[in-house]
Amino acid sequence: MSVQPQTPDLDNDSMEDRLYTVKYEDPGDSHLDVKVEDVCMQCETNDCVRVCPANVWREGDDGVPHIAYENCLECSSCRFACEYDNVVWTYPERGAGMTFKHG
Amino acid sequence: MSPELESDTVADPNYDDEFDAIVVGAGLAGSAAALTMANRGLDVLLIERGSSPGAKNVFGGVLYTPTIRELTDFDDAPVERYVAERRFSMLSKDDETAVSLRPGEWHEKPHNDSYTVLRGDFDEWFAEQAAEEGATLLNSTTVTGLIREDGRIAGVETDRPDGTIRAPYVVLAEGGNSLVSEGANLKQTETRENVAVGVKEVLEFPQRDEVIEDRFRLTDEAGVSYHYFGEGAVGDAFGGGFIYTNEDTVSIGVAYRIEDAAAHDQSPEETLNAFKSHPAVAPLVRNARTVEYSAKTIPEGGAESIPDLVHDGAAIVGDAAGLVLNNGVHLEGTNMAVESGYHAGNAIARAADKGRVGADALQAYPESLEESFVVKNLEHYQWMMNAVEEDRDLLFEDLPRAFADAGTEYFRMDRQPKESHAKNAKSAVLSAVGGWTGAAKLALRYRKVVT
Ligand SMILES: Cc1cc2nc3c(=O)[nH]c(=O)nc-3n(C[C@H](O)[C@H](O)[C@H](O)COP(=O)(O)OP(=O)(O)OC[C@H]3O[C@@H](n4cnc5c(N)ncnc54)[C@H](O)[C@@H]3O)c2cc1C
Ligand code: SF4
Ligand code: SF4
Repeated sequence: MSVQPQTPDLDNDSMEDRLYTVKYEDPGDSHLDVKVEDVCMQCETNDCVRVCPANVWREGDDGVPHIAYENCLECSSCRFACEYDNVVWTYPERGAGMTFKHG
Repeated sequence: MSPELESDTVADPNYDDEFDAIVVGAGLAGSAAALTMANRGLDVLLIERGSSPGAKNVFGGVLYTPTIRELTDFDDAPVERYVAERRFSMLSKDDETAVSLRPGEWHEKPHNDSYTVLRGDFDEWFAEQAAEEGATLLNSTTVTGLIREDGRIAGVETDRPDGTIRAPYVVLAEGGNSLVSEGANLKQTETRENVAVGVKEVLEFPQRDEVIEDRFRLTDEAGVSYHYFGEGAVGDAFGGGFIYTNEDTVSIGVAYRIEDAAAHDQSPEETLNAFKSHPAVAPLVRNARTVEYSAKTIPEGGAESIPDLVHDGAAIVGDAAGLVLNNGVHLEGTNMAVESGYHAGNAIARAADKGRVGADALQAYPESLEESFVVKNLEHYQWMMNAVEEDRDLLFEDLPRAFADAGTEYFRMDRQPKESHAKNAKSAVLSAVGGWTGAAKLALRYRKVVT
């Protein structure tokens, strides 16, 4: 059956606006990395890119993902997603990184 | 560049060998353990990587309080609303079929021990309760590893200037992203089939007062917990969507297996957008403003994923130990976190009385957890996780559609006798489940949901 019901339009924020709601303190350098670049070059799935809810991981021209670490919500999904265990994942030091106001 | 933090400006005290026990992580499990041990006279150091407890934490969420209410005076806890309605909703692409429960009893204290909370406020408050009992809270400090001496765990390494802090007992309450426990080989990294990615927004309604009360049929401090599953919630992924009402805001989100997120072209953010725009969901959240976007993982391996809970000098509690029940109907980790922290804290206090640190001296913790609702529930529902996995197409796609069709048929308003509508309705469901035999098999397989 399925008719198209009346649905109000939602104004969803862009990723940029969404991330803007989260307080951020730059730890200075990235808490994320890849272990072996060659592994990423061979990797065809780029699961790190697919699962990231904050658009941190982006496909790079050379096959090695680019990491916009300042976007990171520290959720850890990329660490579990990579089937080659090729993600270096550490916490930003001394409370730096993101802070949620509500949670 | 190192960030400027309050704790850097005062002389950094040296905590090495000053404490009986160190707790890694001031979430629910960590603060429950710290509170329990402090109560029993131990000197406890509670270490949190966020600038305050809860600063780096997020959940759905409904806090389940049967244990926490026993541990501390809950009357002035920062809760948002009590849960007065639970609604379970199957979404196909365009349809919704829902069951709603609003027992009168839930309006009375203790409100079925279910309250919506926001973790920023709540975790901070709960850690303060531990501090009031004498525990020392150390914020903005990340534990980076464990120290071993003579084969046993004897303290932690941190990112503080004098990084090493030794103590006879360490409680690992670091949550599902358990880098410290994994780094010390106390547990294996969960596979991505057993971990969900959760994304959430906190929404505000700036245009008008009482929007939440009106849309969700609420008065005073009553609130709702809505769970959604099926194609319209998270596509064909294993997981679901949720809406919870806070005092002035609404929490909305989706959580589904990382395995499925990796297989999908749709990102978690897009999945959330799609869920929010479902015809049955969009009217509830229209004209809202996003005041926070957040994400976190949920360990959901169930009973089979629980690691060894005690080691020489250490215990693992809460999400770090995989103690979450997430099977579609239930999403419960808060109660298990507090219960496990409490039992671990007790076991350590008892061992400390006898001056013993070995894993055998801490056995009281796994033993009492085994006897508690935590392990009982996880074991009871393990079969359900497996069965649901096997039947996922049926449960998440075919049945939601069939129920919507059946409902539409059953209540169809036309000039045919109602009997023929009922017949059509029945056949919609029967054909989805494979006839009477299929229905009987399903009923048999899922009978334990209610027994
Ligand atoms: C999206 C989502 C929705 C959920 N919804 C619900 C719900 O509605 N109801 C429910 O009952 N449960 C829900 N859960 C599960 C529930 O949130 C968890 O089970 C519960 O928070 C576990 O508590 P915990 O104390 O074990 O871990 P956490 O709450 O994760 O706390 C861990 C703490 O340790 C800190 N930490 C981590 N590593 C370190 C380190 N190395 N050094 C110092 N500090 C560290 C963290 O910053 C954090 O404060 C949900 C979970 C998610 C992700
Ligand atoms: S990090 Fe893992 S998933 Fe991402 S590109 Fe590299 S190998 Fe592939
Ligand atoms: S931790 Fe989460 S937000 Fe951060 S990069 Fe990984 S997937 Fe993206």
